[in-house]
Amino acid sequence: MAYDQDLSFVYLGTTKVVFGVGSSSQEVEAEMHALGCSRAVVVTDQGIIRAGLLDKITASLGAKCVGVYSDIPQDTGIDVIDKAAAFARDKGADILISVGGGSVIDTAKCMCILLTEGGSLTDHEGIQLLTRPQMPHIVISTTSGTGSEVTCVAVVLDKSKGQKILIVESFNAPRVSILDPALTAKLPPLLTASTGMDAFCHAVEAMTSIHHEPIADALALQAIRLLTKYLPRCIEHGSDLTVRGQVQLAATMAGWAFGNAMVGLVHAMAHSIGAVIHVPHGVANGILLPYCMEYNLPDAADYYADIAQAMNAGEKGFSEEQAAQAAVEAVFAFTKKIGHPQKLSEFGVKEEHIIKAAELSMSDGSILNNVRFVPDSAEVLEIYRKAL
Amino acid sequence: MSSYKGLTQEWLDAWKQKIAESKEYKEIAKDWEGSVSIIVNAAPDKNLPETAYLFTDYWHGDVRDFVLCDEARALSARFIMSGEYVRWKQVATKELDATKALMQGKLKLKGDLTYVVRNVKTINKVIDLLTEVNTIWPDEA
Repeated sequence: MAYDQDLSFVYLGTTKVVFGVGSSSQEVEAEMHALGCSRAVVVTDQGIIRAGLLDKITASLGAKCVGVYSDIPQDTGIDVIDKAAAFARDKGADILISVGGGSVIDTAKCMCILLTEGGSLTDHEGIQLLTRPQMPHIVISTTSGTGSEVTCVAVVLDKSKGQKILIVESFNAPRVSILDPALTAKLPPLLTASTGMDAFCHAVEAMTSIHHEPIADALALQAIRLLTKYLPRCIEHGSDLTVRGQVQLAATMAGWAFGNAMVGLVHAMAHSIGAVIHVPHGVANGILLPYCMEYNLPDAADYYADIAQAMNAGEKGFSEEQAAQAAVEAVFAFTKKIGHPQKLSEFGVKEEHIIKAAELSMSDGSILNNVRFVPDSAEVLEIYRKAL
Repeated sequence: MSSYKGLTQEWLDAWKQKIAESKEYKEIAKDWEGSVSIIVNAAPDKNLPETAYLFTDYWHGDVRDFVLCDEARALSARFIMSGEYVRWKQVATKELDATKALMQGKLKLKGDLTYVVRNVKTINKVIDLLTEVNTIWPDEA
């Protein structure tokens, strides 16, 4: 892929990554110490506690863990964050350690803002408002998909608007991301597939964002290669930590890609249907991705041709258009191969929900980055209908 | 064509007139309600010794106040956009896309982002019309 002579971009990758089996309990205390912190509040959810994933981590922190906050739902919200921040403030935390998936990580990111700047999250509505680094935050991911462990973006449900809002703050990327494949070993196949498709979607959308750039492209393509090869194996052999590690790395690479290039139409639609009827984010992304690729095809053929190559799709001698079409078909086939849900109706979505979600999609920040300009909600609704 | 010194009241008046005369703007902006302040941080080396505060107000396709103001009035706007002089000049001359500037932290926006996204065509049109104002920027004076 060639870049224009007037290419101009900013790449931000400030999060230190620590990777390795066992790293979550072996490295967290040292990383906390290196940041000059001594009072950690661990942010997690009930599922992580029930799965026993927290025990070794809190044990390794010892007295430096001054509290655990675990009242975090599947989709975090402003009220959740305000409460969690009050808890951490009462405990005198000087660092947050999030242990979980996207909702947990994004809760902790927003807590960092409140613990540094004060007020409620509603006082910080906007984009790139911060002018200084926020409270240190170490992420320990328990899924492989969100990418939030290395981005400055958080997604939060605003109940007053009935919509998920984006918090984009360069000063709020986590300081350290600890990737321990062992923590993902017990993820069931469906969750492995949907979180993996979340990562896949990040990579595809980053490559086709109007803000895409060479570093993000490289990370996205490698993420697609790794996911194509290892996600199916990961679903079949979940306890294979080598395979789990490949998928975890792919998710983080895709996170770096979209953290810089941003995401597009798929995410606008997934956020919106998630806000209307709580379809899990990864599932919504996985279902909607190939349909949105079809929609974007006229404006994304060159990018999709590269994706086809990364997926080993298509045949030698294909034109760019043929290769691009092959990429779309390959993504449809890939979601079937990994046993990913195919239709939104499997999650109770009905016509009335997609009408509302189509309207909401038009005010989701992600839609501005889409490679193809989306003029109105009627076009979004048409895509939802195909995926229904 | 007349030229106007950038970030002055006469320049704001010329910009306001361009917007008021645009039928396309009137149609695109028919749903927009509310004020936008523009804060241009001082840049003494660019001949902008003091921070400039601009208050612009739009209402369903009409244009209301377009004035230089003090900090307090700027901070009272529904949306507050702020940034360095060089970034604003890049946006005003279409060298830098406003959305990209926000995403990359080159400009800051305080306010309801979902409302802005829903009305992004309005924002883009207002910027397009600014490029039609023949501007002598402070560092070019």
